[in-house]
Amino acid sequence: MIHRFSLLLGAFALVITLAVPVVAQTPKNWVPPKTPWGDPDLQGIWPGNMGVPMQRPQNLGERTTLTDEEFAQRVAQAKRQAEADSQSFASSDTRVGIGPPSYWTERGRPTRQTSLIIDPPNGRLPSLTPEAEKYRKEARGGKGLPGEWRGEADSYDDLNIYYRCITRGVLGSVIPVVYNNGNQIIQAPGYIVFRNEMIHEARVIPLDGRPHVDSKIKMFMGDSRGHWEGNTLVVETTNFTDKDAIGSNGAGYPGDPGYHSEQLKIVERFTPVSENKLEYQATVIDDKTWIRPWTILIELERSDNYQVLEYACHEGNYAMEDILSGARATEK
Amino acid sequence: MLRNVSAALVLAASIATSVPLWSHHAFQAEFDDKKPVHLVGKVTKMEWINPHAWIHIDVAEPDGKVTSWMVECGSPNIMLRRGFTKESLEFGSEIVVEGYRAKNGSNRANGSSVTFKDGRRLFVGGSNPDIPAELRQ
Repeated sequence: MIHRFSLLLGAFALVITLAVPVVAQTPKNWVPPKTPWGDPDLQGIWPGNMGVPMQRPQNLGERTTLTDEEFAQRVAQAKRQAEADSQSFASSDTRVGIGPPSYWTERGRPTRQTSLIIDPPNGRLPSLTPEAEKYRKEARGGKGLPGEWRGEADSYDDLNIYYRCITRGVLGSVIPVVYNNGNQIIQAPGYIVFRNEMIHEARVIPLDGRPHVDSKIKMFMGDSRGHWEGNTLVVETTNFTDKDAIGSNGAGYPGDPGYHSEQLKIVERFTPVSENKLEYQATVIDDKTWIRPWTILIELERSDNYQVLEYACHEGNYAMEDILSGARATEK
Repeated sequence: MLRNVSAALVLAASIATSVPLWSHHAFQAEFDDKKPVHLVGKVTKMEWINPHAWIHIDVAEPDGKVTSWMVECGSPNIMLRRGFTKESLEFGSEIVVEGYRAKNGSNRANGSSVTFKDGRRLFVGGSNPDIPAELRQ
């Protein structure tokens, strides 16, 4: 049995190694199939790939794709990582630390895309407004907004809502991270459902042109309305709380946890470009937080073998208990 | 250009090392790297729960007393995708766990490795050689 397990691990490593992405083969004038009621049919499983950084390394400037040499380097790194992940024993010079074991994580597949952020053209987050800087600094009596664990846990409130298994928000749920990057699209007449694996979100999005709910109603996942522009599904989401952050796990958004204001509006565009490829673009508009809008592009690839599994996170969250009690024990 | 990329990666790697942002929950928040544990015990239960699965084992102390321990694993979803099935770890199997004890002093540990008595090892921890720093999340 364990032998089989090793074989599977080996096979996994091999798949990672061999799964060098082919250059996008987008047939011109490709027309997606239609649902029986006439909408473009986007249904399927579309897992994210964590092989692309959120922000572009500054030295790449406005270059959106890697050179052959840079790409080869990234492929080689992925190969070495896959080999390390499949080892039965850590090599003697490996520091076996307290971090999660390597077999826990999905490594992603290297691609030529230099960053998820495609606008601004430098692939980096725009500056915060002075108002947002002040808000971050002064929040919670000067403690700042909750994020990842930073050495203190006086209360559950010191940790963000991803730690607390509440949500990763609209974009955080799609931005690929260490594991559980499954997405699923299901359609019905007048509706589309976008389901994300980690923490488990399922947005049921009306397509019938109805107005947003009252502006006084604020939600972690906002209020989404969709419509078709040709074969592109456009979804506009408003009515956000300011309690969540984009990439609220700190993952996909290194450094700042990405808190936004209640004014946030997200415009997502789902464009099928071939049978197995769906371009997901999302524009973040919140002039109270960022000095200009910014846009990410995530290329989703169909994988009918991928199973989006349930993620009953809260029920099994021993970590919060361990973190808080661990902090109390450390104080003694 | 490539040299610049490498330099940037090294710099970013050093930042990433000092601020580990790896997983759903910070390990350093829960577990104590000054308290490594070596446990030999029999599997009594496997909890396939998110965000992390847990292996339960009964450990016989030298004086014959039996204590129960919980060992943290990855998320069930990724374990399944990596080939770990319900049968991979059978009830009653004797395993050796290397890991780190919970800071709160309870009988919980983060499992770095799980080894069967005959030396077969289920998985190992902490070897992340050179993933590009900007992808360490």
